[in-house]
Amino acid sequence: MIIPFKIKFTVTIYLLIIVAVIMPQVSSAQRFSHPTNEGRGNVKQSASAQQNHPAASPATTGRGNVRQSAPAPQSRPAASPTFNRSEAQPPSRSINGGSQNFGNRNVNRSTTVNATPRPVEPKRTNAPVIENPRAKEHRSTTVRENVNVYHSSNIQSHPYSYHPYHPSSWGASWHPIGFIAVTLARDAFIFSLANRQYYYNEGVYYQPISGGYTVVSAPVGAVVGSLPDGYETVQVGDDYFYYYGGTFYIGLDQGYQVVDAPTGAIVMDIPDGATQQNINGEIYLFYNNTYYEPVSFNGQDAYQVVQVN
Amino acid sequence: MNKKLFLIIFICGFTTHIKAQSSTIDTVAVSILDNMSAMIGDLTSCSVTVNANYDVHNQELGLVKRSNESQVFLQGPDKLLIRSEGDKGDRDFYYADNILTYYSPTRNHFAKIETLPTTVGMIDTVSKQYGILFPAADFLYPGFVDDILADAKNLIYLGITKVGGKDCFHIAGTTSDKTFQFWISDDAFSLPAKLVIVYTKKDLNPQYEAVYSDWKINPVFPDALFKFNVPPNAMKIKFVPVSKRK
Repeated sequence: MIIPFKIKFTVTIYLLIIVAVIMPQVSSAQRFSHPTNEGRGNVKQSASAQQNHPAASPATTGRGNVRQSAPAPQSRPAASPTFNRSEAQPPSRSINGGSQNFGNRNVNRSTTVNATPRPVEPKRTNAPVIENPRAKEHRSTTVRENVNVYHSSNIQSHPYSYHPYHPSSWGASWHPIGFIAVTLARDAFIFSLANRQYYYNEGVYYQPISGGYTVVSAPVGAVVGSLPDGYETVQVGDDYFYYYGGTFYIGLDQGYQVVDAPTGAIVMDIPDGATQQNINGEIYLFYNNTYYEPVSFNGQDAYQVVQVN
Repeated sequence: MNKKLFLIIFICGFTTHIKAQSSTIDTVAVSILDNMSAMIGDLTSCSVTVNANYDVHNQELGLVKRSNESQVFLQGPDKLLIRSEGDKGDRDFYYADNILTYYSPTRNHFAKIETLPTTVGMIDTVSKQYGILFPAADFLYPGFVDDILADAKNLIYLGITKVGGKDCFHIAGTTSDKTFQFWISDDAFSLPAKLVIVYTKKDLNPQYEAVYSDWKINPVFPDALFKFNVPPNAMKIKFVPVSKRK
């Protein structure tokens, strides 16, 4: 079919108009275009002006906990940088005025199903939590005989001193392993370790389950930005550890890293969930793959980490 | 009448074709980038080391890889120091009190321009007017994630991989003129660890790659760090705007 020149010309004009209309007006200031910054860069901003930020949406939360004002141990460098959300300077001192990603996240686009398991988006409701189903579990005592109990060779070993086990708690926000929560706090943040997703909030580690989240043991190697108030500093030889809620940490520049319980460490409190084991005729506690020997420390009931083979 | 009908059908078909182009945006990738952007937005100061490698077109050799290492210091919304060493020689940028100063220790010359009162505003304006690309600057834009979404045809979360021995979330995407990959650290701070860009519309598809390491969060820097003092015998030069370059 022969198309007359007049039609060709008209079509060309229409095409040029359409192209001009659909071409986005963007600023290509850096390696990526920044259309949302258009007009913002030319506005004089007072350094002390309060920035208007929307309330954090679920898509933008996920940061670490607030660092509490606990004294730093002697071994930690005084100049270690820390991230302190509750004591943070006003938003106007942020290096960029604060994140301002307001865009619609429910875009009309198809989403692929990623082979990697997706985390469950935390529900931000006030639904009631479910009590720890293990709380009333009868604790039986395992009997083991002819077992070797090792104390650290370079740490003072305290003599065995039996005292009854009274599970400890670390406040209203802390929950023992096995506890199930329907929702998590807004502050909970997500991280992955060894291809597993975790949520962390106030010294407690969760994994998603059907209908909620369950408290799990802290994954060794995880790094968190801060620990809640009430953590203990535990000296083992020349090393310092931190202990909170049944978990041991070492201090890093960027936060605290979960480590295995160091042999010889002495703690005052063990969380709910420990089982008793009769080893060579003496009662030990077993919690989170760690054996604890009841001892007396400075006149107080305490527990010392030992190895049992 | 037939001609008008033909035109209407043709235009409708064309616009339908534009709308039919689909894109894939992974909400997990968006969530990870949102976390990163929120973290950066809450920083009152920081420093980072940026090791960058980038392709430069050479007429005889094709693409030649160049590199530089930069130490970037930021304090508040209005102070910046960048110290770079690399194939273009040593170059420093000081920004404070609305003035950006460029200094070359190699050549002992400097240039100053008065600019906007915020670091992001300065970066945006200076890069457009003078073509200066600052390391890690894209991540500083408050609307970084929205900017990515505005342009991205695809944005996919690929899983966890390692950069510098540390686990990172790996995200990839495409726009009309490039492909890009982010590696965001899988820890409490969710900061950028690596960036790779491939420019698909340029000859030979040059690449830009940057590794971000040694992040320091909210340190306290003395104000003097960001102030430039003219060294003895230094020569003052002028920035040449992009529009006036031959």
